[in-house]
Amino acid sequence: MAQAAHTLDHPKPLGHGVKRHTGLMDWITTVDHKKIAILYLWAGGFFFGIGGIEALLIRWQLIKPMNNFLDAQTFNELITMHGTTMIFLGVMPVIFALMNAVIPLQIGARDVAFPFLNALGFWTFLFGGVLLNLSWVMGGAPDAGWTSYTPLSTSAYSGTHGVDFYTIGLQIAGLGTLIGGINFLATVITMRAPGMSFMRMPMFAWTTFITSAIILFAFPAITVGLVLLTFDRILGANFFEPGAGGSPVLWQHIFWIFGHPEVYILILPAFGIISEVIPTFARKRLFGYSSMVFATILIAFLGFMVWAHHMFTTGLGPVANALFAVSTMLIAVPTGIKIFNWLFTMWGGSVRFTTPNLFASGFIPTFTMGGVTGVMLASAPADFQFHDTYFVVAHFHYVIVGGLVMGLFAGLHYWWPKMFGRMLSETLGKWTFWTFITGFHLTFFVQHFLGLMGMQRRVFTYLPNQHFDTLNLVSTIGAGLMGVGTLIFLANIVITSRKPMDAANDPWEDGRTLEWSIPSPPPEYNFKQTPLVRGLDALWKEKVAGNKGMTPAEPIGPIHMPSATPLPFIMSVGIFIAGLGFMFSRDDFGGGFVSFLFNNYIVTGLGLLITFGAMLMRSLYDDHGWHIEPEELEGR
Amino acid sequence: MAAEQHTRDNGVKRRHRQEGPQKHIMVFVLSAILTLIAFAAVAAGGVNVVFAVILLLIMAVIQVFLQMGYWMHLKDKGHMMPIIFMLGGFLIAGTCIIMALYWVWWD
Repeated sequence: MAQAAHTLDHPKPLGHGVKRHTGLMDWITTVDHKKIAILYLWAGGFFFGIGGIEALLIRWQLIKPMNNFLDAQTFNELITMHGTTMIFLGVMPVIFALMNAVIPLQIGARDVAFPFLNALGFWTFLFGGVLLNLSWVMGGAPDAGWTSYTPLSTSAYSGTHGVDFYTIGLQIAGLGTLIGGINFLATVITMRAPGMSFMRMPMFAWTTFITSAIILFAFPAITVGLVLLTFDRILGANFFEPGAGGSPVLWQHIFWIFGHPEVYILILPAFGIISEVIPTFARKRLFGYSSMVFATILIAFLGFMVWAHHMFTTGLGPVANALFAVSTMLIAVPTGIKIFNWLFTMWGGSVRFTTPNLFASGFIPTFTMGGVTGVMLASAPADFQFHDTYFVVAHFHYVIVGGLVMGLFAGLHYWWPKMFGRMLSETLGKWTFWTFITGFHLTFFVQHFLGLMGMQRRVFTYLPNQHFDTLNLVSTIGAGLMGVGTLIFLANIVITSRKPMDAANDPWEDGRTLEWSIPSPPPEYNFKQTPLVRGLDALWKEKVAGNKGMTPAEPIGPIHMPSATPLPFIMSVGIFIAGLGFMFSRDDFGGGFVSFLFNNYIVTGLGLLITFGAMLMRSLYDDHGWHIEPEELEGR
Repeated sequence: MAAEQHTRDNGVKRRHRQEGPQKHIMVFVLSAILTLIAFAAVAAGGVNVVFAVILLLIMAVIQVFLQMGYWMHLKDKGHMMPIIFMLGGFLIAGTCIIMALYWVWWD
């Protein structure tokens, strides 16, 4: 896209004297997908840490019956923020980190389709996340659960600004996700290297593509829902107020029309990562590649048709419940195809259990257990028993932690050398795996039984002698062990960062896809010459043919690069200010100047002025980017 | 040399660019006529309400297709992806509308 626009206007290339930023300004102005990946990783990791601490506090409160470590209000805030932070600010940014780091390399592109938007997506996510977490120090965090069901989340029952931080913070962060999703759709559709047809794309590129499509279709629903809830809470609308003709169930529908596809947004990238790691370390081509592709598409499609299984107890009636039960169980079919394909890939391969492969191998049985409880929950009559118990908590942690987080750990260990040029320590990596997976099963396996015995979700404490005591203790110990696993991973990162940057192009030696054909970390233009793709697993194909590397698809020529710009950052700061201003627009600041500023939407207006001013700047001043000349390429 | 190199990415043939404006003008006039018919049906009065509604809907659907096909180039080659994603969007938006009508509005 960017490459097409600038061409003939400038007979002389612009590469000379490009302004280079350093230090913090480099990170704020970067539009390089590899640097944005690192930004996503650090920001996502930071929020992941916050969410993890919240989880540990929750588990510490539940370690024994009638514990008074936390009060009920704080507990509600912690569970709400744990769920919201982990999903929207923890794992999704790490997913975007891996997509950014890998996808352009895997499809043989020099960057994403819209580098500017890529930066904008990151900064809106970050400022949304910061706004959401500011709630802790600005009058109380949201306390209506991560699903924020009405009427609990309306001003009548949640009087603090907590839920406003939720609605506006998620709105801003969601903007970033939507931008990212559209960007990756355009990237995969338009930026593939010559010869890479859709059916030659690596599986991770496929799942990124499908995930982005789900983002495109699902996020508008939550956007609308959040707008309605914001209007109800701040402007006094009545969308969810039954007394004025609104419907609280409408929120549940809107939330889950988004919320169920959201869980596939989370898990499909993990499927993609696993589908990369397992063939690499089995030294075999992925079994049933085309069935994997169609299973992914089918999961995405069915994912939109099952949302009401979150609402079986709402009273939709037996026909609706039966239909949604069946459509939910149908998803087990494509998912099962994937599980068997991974097993068949390993079968007969010369398997090496490196850290990424350990995580991938741990993923398969763990995720399958989560899938089985999913089918149990899909059975509507049984769900009336399971609903709102720890059985549900166990189920979704099995798929999100046992599935997605294990997938992310696999992906991070696998692509770390490509991102940072340094191999993570295998010894520490294996320690991470064993402590994490042991802790995980200790924490959540027992929660199935807690739920079946009747322990409810979201209770801040429980009475002794209901058979809950020991299992909760076990669960808390497990959570601590998961914390230890994460700390080992952090230690691994710190230790590795002090080692020399010496990772080879193909550090695992059995790399199959294009990212392993270029240096680790790649130069800012990724590919000196766009590679010619001659089949699935493009690099492996060349290796088998006895070639040293990829065949170039073009002669060496000047490479067009996008310019660094602070505008995405400034736009996001504007939205952040506007959000805060809007949130406090109805507050009484005791008269005076501050009240004047907020109550007349002047703060909001100022924020929007910054954002739209930056957009105007972007529109009025053409930035044609710059070029890296062939002489410079050869000089390196 | 450099300039030639830069045009590489522009080598893709985009047929609809060379098509000329005739069809667009025709579709524009057609759209205007369809709109006039719709307006006339209501403004004239005396037309059966049910008939008018059906007529309006038919005019609307035809216009949607004309707009999508000609002005948004969906009839041209290489527009598979936009079509797929638009249909996907319609499907999911339609699901939401049915949900809202069936479970929230009429319930």
